[in-house]
Amino acid sequence: MNFKQQRDNFRAKKISAVEAVEESLRKIKDDQLNIFINHFEQEALSNAMHIDNNFDDFIAKPLSGVPIAHKDIFCTEGLPTTCGSKMLENFIPPYDSTVVKNCLDAGSIMVAKTNMDEFAMGSSNETSYFGAVSNPWNHDLVPGGSSGGAAACVSANLTTISTGTDTGGSIRQPAALCGITGLKPTYGLVSRWGMIAFCSSMDQAGPFSRDAFGCAALLDAMASYDEKDSTSTKRQDINFEESLSKNFGSLKVGVIKNIQELDISEDVINAYETSKTVLTGLGHKLVEVDFSELSSGICSYYVIAPAECSSNLSRFDGVKYGYRSKGEKDIANLYMNTRSDGFGDEVKKRILIGTHVLSAGFYDAYYLQAQKVRRMIKLKFENFFKDVDLIFMPTTLDQAFEKNRKSDDPNRMYKEDLLTIPANLAGLPAISFPNGFKNNLPIAGQLIGKYFAEDLLLNTTNKIQEVTDWHKMTP
Amino acid sequence: MAQNDTLIKGWQPVIGLEVHVQLMTNTKLFSPAKNQFGEDANTLVDLIDLGLPGVLPVLNEGAMKQGIKFGLATNAKIAETMIFDRKNYFYPDLPKGYQITQLHYPIVRDGVVMVNGKKIRIHQAHLEEDAGKSMHDKYDDKSVIDLNRSGVPLLEIVSEPDIRSASEAVNYLKKIHQIITYLDISDGNMSQGSMRCDANVSIMKPEDKEFGTRAEIKNINSFKFVEKAINFEIKRQIKILEANGTVEQETRLYDSIKDETRSMRTKEFANDYRYFPCPDLVPTNITEELIESVKENMDELPEEKQDRFMSSYNLNEYDAGVICADKETANFFEKVVENADVQLAAKWIIGDLNALLNKHDMDLQESRIDAENFSELIQKITDNTISGKIAKEVLEEIWNTGAKVSEVIDSKGMQQISDAGELDNTIEIILNENTDQVNAYKSGKDKLFGFFVGQVMKATQGKANPRLVNELLKKKLS
Amino acid sequence: MDKIELKNLLFLARISAKENEYPEIIKKLENTFELIDEMQDLDLSDLEPLNNPLELSNVTRIDKDKNRNDKKKFLDNSPESDEDYFNVPKIIE
Repeated sequence: MNFKQQRDNFRAKKISAVEAVEESLRKIKDDQLNIFINHFEQEALSNAMHIDNNFDDFIAKPLSGVPIAHKDIFCTEGLPTTCGSKMLENFIPPYDSTVVKNCLDAGSIMVAKTNMDEFAMGSSNETSYFGAVSNPWNHDLVPGGSSGGAAACVSANLTTISTGTDTGGSIRQPAALCGITGLKPTYGLVSRWGMIAFCSSMDQAGPFSRDAFGCAALLDAMASYDEKDSTSTKRQDINFEESLSKNFGSLKVGVIKNIQELDISEDVINAYETSKTVLTGLGHKLVEVDFSELSSGICSYYVIAPAECSSNLSRFDGVKYGYRSKGEKDIANLYMNTRSDGFGDEVKKRILIGTHVLSAGFYDAYYLQAQKVRRMIKLKFENFFKDVDLIFMPTTLDQAFEKNRKSDDPNRMYKEDLLTIPANLAGLPAISFPNGFKNNLPIAGQLIGKYFAEDLLLNTTNKIQEVTDWHKMTP
Repeated sequence: MAQNDTLIKGWQPVIGLEVHVQLMTNTKLFSPAKNQFGEDANTLVDLIDLGLPGVLPVLNEGAMKQGIKFGLATNAKIAETMIFDRKNYFYPDLPKGYQITQLHYPIVRDGVVMVNGKKIRIHQAHLEEDAGKSMHDKYDDKSVIDLNRSGVPLLEIVSEPDIRSASEAVNYLKKIHQIITYLDISDGNMSQGSMRCDANVSIMKPEDKEFGTRAEIKNINSFKFVEKAINFEIKRQIKILEANGTVEQETRLYDSIKDETRSMRTKEFANDYRYFPCPDLVPTNITEELIESVKENMDELPEEKQDRFMSSYNLNEYDAGVICADKETANFFEKVVENADVQLAAKWIIGDLNALLNKHDMDLQESRIDAENFSELIQKITDNTISGKIAKEVLEEIWNTGAKVSEVIDSKGMQQISDAGELDNTIEIILNENTDQVNAYKSGKDKLFGFFVGQVMKATQGKANPRLVNELLKKKLS
Repeated sequence: MDKIELKNLLFLARISAKENEYPEIIKKLENTFELIDEMQDLDLSDLEPLNNPLELSNVTRIDKDKNRNDKKKFLDNSPESDEDYFNVPKIIE
């Protein structure tokens, strides 16, 4: 069952919200893939009951009667929010994130919170304090990260929609590895209030679903101008679901020139070439763009993201909330040991890198240079978009990989984000969708659009999904 | 550049001040919690002030406007675009592990204030958030944290090193105090910490081209201590340099009890604040329209008020200057003279009232004197109900009890005796009792006239109208 | 990066590590900097740094208070507190 069927069933009173939630919870409790950090039976059932009792108020809402799982990076008032870390294992936020609140208002029912890389730092979900998540297609493989639990949840059909966040590819890469659709919106479209910060200037929340339709409906719920977030943008109100049926006509789509020169697997390239013919079949024109100019984005990303995270994570000091190392006699040791015990290795490493690139004597060569690379990438995209409406490229270099494999070679792991990072640096929207299979594992491509072109991205993906079946495959 | 009258033992002190001013906004710089002093611990703490994960700052427009006001009052440049930075360091009263401040693009730069006819330049003034408070006396083995102050808006005003003596530093600080209280952007209360001061002090030989190495003195919380701390530091540096030592660039703490500055324990490693632009806040443009609207709503500045007092009340420059030294006194004066004689009011405010305030180390607001009551006091002098001498007693009484002037006069029977008949009798008695002196006076000892006046005043407990006493005595003794 | 630099870095970040772990940490960090340093060859001197992708401006809030204080909940959420304050080991000034 996909999102649309589930919502239609609710709207047609074929299934109540309570029944939908009960079914979802039953599957969640049986989960063998370690997809969830917490689930909330009581709260979910009472919310579902409220929706059933007020059916008329909710029938027209974008997510009416549909169970949802939120990435455990979104604060939920009165319910644990761990961010995948020991540091926040027992943390109960006294407030709701805007995303969680918007989704509730839109008629969805939160049933669980999904596993993730610790503080969203990782591309395999293996840095979670609560253990790795398995890929629903092959349990020995990773689901991708950092929103690995959220992608696996929809892929394994435990819910039909889930939320994630994407700082350097954390929605698109796990969507690709799990064979579902995931959208990273324009920076500023979805409020960051209540979303635990990793890299504030790139973090952006977005939807997962099996297809573009589910993503559109969930984005309708998630997106809002929020006075509580200074980087939130006022925009014309667009109904993404309605925009799926609009006709944008023939588009110019940028495709990668000399793709063989990039370190991309043959299977991914084959799927990419096939998708190009799908695009031309839909009446779009292909224009080659030189992607090689964007590859330094990865250097910039691994300076800026750690720099911001080193500062964002300073608040975890064992004083106001969260973990505190026991029995410390002085404040210096309290800080040192709380942070050393409370954070995992990957987080500590990134804090150290970030601290280093901001420190006296290194700031110009690293932080400032990285911000200039970022400017360069934004300018390159501006140039591309003079000639094209959308850019199409693979989401990942390869398919899902084995657990533990790439963790031994961190740079290989970091390069995993090569194709997703540029959109984050420039703040552009991008959508990943399944576009092939090999060895019973999904392959994905992504479309990148101009600022606030989510409607075009969703519409184009939807048109592709009308003529292809990759998004219908289930593990 | 050296001014010889400020040399100490042949050394030229060079001083710059960093003044932190707590702004009087309704809410904090980045959170909607109330900005107030003296509330119960941790009751004025918002999600943002607590530094919870996922919360985000949004700039308080009121604080920005107050910063602009200060810039306008000091003829400074107001930034077209200001940018907030993060200053990273760990301390238990700093919930986020960084302070949001402005390093490279402050709201105000290149201002100037006049201190006793000399220009002191202001390098910049920037907006930043205050930290919470940690206290150490509640438990033997623990410190406690109150975050009520966390996020309170501060304007940090950084002077150029244009100050040449400790007393000039005090005068500069008083000038800043005068400006911020006139602008109503801060109460400037040093004892409550709403105005705090750090001083950068170095010394050099008058012929030197470069400044000496400076020490930064922290934690100076009164005008008096500013002078003492700087003077101590100057002497300390002279002692070092004259013994061929070197002054270390360091941060020192002023200890007002011992009256000395001492080095803050040098940490194992130098701190490195790792400033970078705060990604949660976008650069803020300050438009001409905004500046204009702030200008329109700006209160009169000290110099403007002084000029007006001279022209519309006919006060001389000195009196107008003293009365306008602080806004409270100036406002008090204006209320008093609505119903009282201007010159007499000025004389009494500058003289007796100021003396009382100084004696008790209080300001007007803390005292029991209100303008209406004080105005009545002046009126009673003008209409001869009481003499100046009695008026002093009445002032003492209302200072102590806060009672109404008319009640004090009535209940103590202090009305001046201006009835010639009544005084005639008193004078008659006194002259009869002192026939020797009367004879001596009449034989030419003019000085005894004062003696008779004194006797009359004594007999009437000072209530006799002095002018009348003079008149009657002269008549009787002639 | 040498041991003294790492020690300073660990102190700035308030993260502890045993001396015998230093070589491993240094290796990991240097490995990452190898990746990062690929950008050092680019001549970008004529570009302005970009802090925020959308380059927005002018977000302010009206100076009006809103009470979201929940003292008890806030203090209860902390590892150690009494009825009024967050508690930490004695800070020696």
